[in-house]
Amino acid sequence: MNPVPRPAGDDTMILFSNINKWYGDYQALADVNAEVKKGEVVVVCGPSGSGKSTLIRTVNRLEEVKSGQLLFDGHDIHAPMRSAALNKLRSRIGFVFQSFNLFPHLSVLENIMLSPMRVLGVKRADAKARAAQLLERVGLSNKAGAYPAQLSGGQQQRVAIARALAMEPPAMLFDEPTSALDPEMVGEVLSVMRGLAHDGMTMMCVTHEMNFAREVADRVWFMDAGRILEKADPEAFFKSPQHPRAQRFLSDLRAH
Amino acid sequence: MFSVFEILRDNWLLLLVGQYPSGPLGGIVATLILSVLGIVLAFPLSVLLALARLSPWRLLRWPATVLVYVVRGVPLLMVILWVYFLVPILIGREVSGFTTMLCTLVIYEGAYLSEVVRAGIQALPRGQTEAARALGHSHLGTMWFVILPQALYNMLPSMLSQFISTIKETTLGYVINVQELTFAANQINNQLLTKPFQVFFILAMTYYVVCFSLTQLAQWLERRIAHRRLGAASAKTSEDGVSLPPPAVVNP
Amino acid sequence: MKDFDLLAILMKPEFGAMLWHGLQETLKIAAGSWLLAMAMAVVLLVVRLTPSRLAERVVAGYVSYHRNVPTLVQLMLWYFGIFSLLPDALQGWLSAHNAETILSIVALGLCQAAYFSEDMRSGLRSIPAGQAEAARALGHGYIGSMRHVMLPQAIRNAVPALVNHSVSLFKNSSLAMAIGVAELTHAVKEIESQSFRTFEAYSMATVLYLVCSLLIMAVGGWLSRRYRIAGAR
Repeated sequence: MNPVPRPAGDDTMILFSNINKWYGDYQALADVNAEVKKGEVVVVCGPSGSGKSTLIRTVNRLEEVKSGQLLFDGHDIHAPMRSAALNKLRSRIGFVFQSFNLFPHLSVLENIMLSPMRVLGVKRADAKARAAQLLERVGLSNKAGAYPAQLSGGQQQRVAIARALAMEPPAMLFDEPTSALDPEMVGEVLSVMRGLAHDGMTMMCVTHEMNFAREVADRVWFMDAGRILEKADPEAFFKSPQHPRAQRFLSDLRAH
Repeated sequence: MFSVFEILRDNWLLLLVGQYPSGPLGGIVATLILSVLGIVLAFPLSVLLALARLSPWRLLRWPATVLVYVVRGVPLLMVILWVYFLVPILIGREVSGFTTMLCTLVIYEGAYLSEVVRAGIQALPRGQTEAARALGHSHLGTMWFVILPQALYNMLPSMLSQFISTIKETTLGYVINVQELTFAANQINNQLLTKPFQVFFILAMTYYVVCFSLTQLAQWLERRIAHRRLGAASAKTSEDGVSLPPPAVVNP
Repeated sequence: MKDFDLLAILMKPEFGAMLWHGLQETLKIAAGSWLLAMAMAVVLLVVRLTPSRLAERVVAGYVSYHRNVPTLVQLMLWYFGIFSLLPDALQGWLSAHNAETILSIVALGLCQAAYFSEDMRSGLRSIPAGQAEAARALGHGYIGSMRHVMLPQAIRNAVPALVNHSVSLFKNSSLAMAIGVAELTHAVKEIESQSFRTFEAYSMATVLYLVCSLLIMAVGGWLSRRYRIAGAR
């Protein structure tokens, strides 16, 4: 697994170069060129079907790419490689799912401990300590022995974030983390994400939560029909979006 | 009809343990031993077959699929005949009817049970596999730590149903003179000759009691598991308790 | 396997004839019991749908008995047990007309009816509750909503299970051998004992069974695809 050579001092975490993807005849991603720098928080928004989830899932290769290059921390994720190499790369990319996907047969603590132990080879005692620390960080220390089915949606998502953080990834990807939550639980998850951003984590989030984007994001990407139509500073984007479709999107959102 | 009780009283030992100790162990005890051994030995085979059928490698997938389809398409009697014929050739010496029957059950149940396991694995939400892979687990790691523990637990009622099927399948041992319950009943009938209905009625009722109790256990288990899995809030069960998974359970 | 000689059995007219007759018997039993099973299953379903609690219990008992007692034992009970209880005239008639085949069809058919009726019942119950409500809300009567809304969906849902159980039914025909019916497995054993060509004889039977089973599964698959509800999961 040879990283692509890059200039010294390069602070690019994720680089999309001419990414294209088709599902049969339907083009899901079209000529995507974008960059997430280290420590940056990027929010990707757009109408449903715009390809935002597809885009974020290409980063850890949960979706394949037809053409183009995707670099994560210098590594070409979509290059042909042995599965062991891909697994290793994935273990360095934190991913949080819309439907949490916690492992129901394991307790909260075990959910967080499993992958550091079995994928990274961390010793049990260290994994446990790390897990306890992360639970405290997401505010769920008292739920260590509980099982996912006993937690609310917001609690489950916070555990899912802790599970991803346990791998100590240099970047975290969030695929609509609050879309499956009842409104009163959205806040608790967003505040964890806000905390991560303040601590300097590189984050790429697909979300509809515009207030969160305004507060926390460094850049906003607006996508429609598989293309990134606008990349802007959040304040600028929300005050006066340039692209007509972005304008329509924001006015539709505000209409509710 | 009262002769039913007389027959039971006179022959209960034969029905229970066959001609033991003056002969090999038989009767219902032999039936149960054969069934338990059969399903226990079939289980690891079934997990391997299921994993092979779901594996990304064609070299594993195709032979496994062919084996399962063949066993599902051929009557149990034919499998018994094949095993009876091939095993002595492969091992080099004669084998008892009991061993033949056991091998047959392991192969036959292995194939059917593998369908149950496969259904269990495929019934899990895709998100589980995705989450495990996203964390960096390999295919086998994902199976071992995340998928199989859930699938096997969810499929316990179906596996119990397969065990019940195995008990019913042991009756075919009669055809190759295995000393189990049906054989014992036939022995009694051949002695008495005048009360065939009563004898076979006893036989049918004995199996009924055993299998029915186990079926009730399976239904209770299913309710428990549904309750656990979906959280206390919503334990959905179907009215008769057993929601049928994809039909892999077969009556022989 | 030295000298695998399939032709050695096929060429000899008696063996070919035995095989052919065996296959015919198997198909006869399979077809006969399938028809009986389907007919009985519909009867059971209709009886169960009536509001009577007694009817529910009776059908539940029927199903419970036939699913928990091994099929071979049911066959034996019919052939050795119930046969002996029949009036002499009936016994005489049966013995003169292939009692073994008839009783096999009866036993296997009634047994499988229990499974078929459960499959149909599951098919009916897997329809979301809203369907019946919607049909009634639109003004359909009980029979109308059954005919136009419920049964079409129920049958589509039940097809995979029915196909699987049809294959079981077909395979169960081999059990008739235990009471002396000269069906395929029996024929093959006879050929084997006469010719000592075990491997070839068994292979023939295996292939024939496989072909028939796969045919049934293929027909089932075709039926499910043909009548599939577009876009359903």
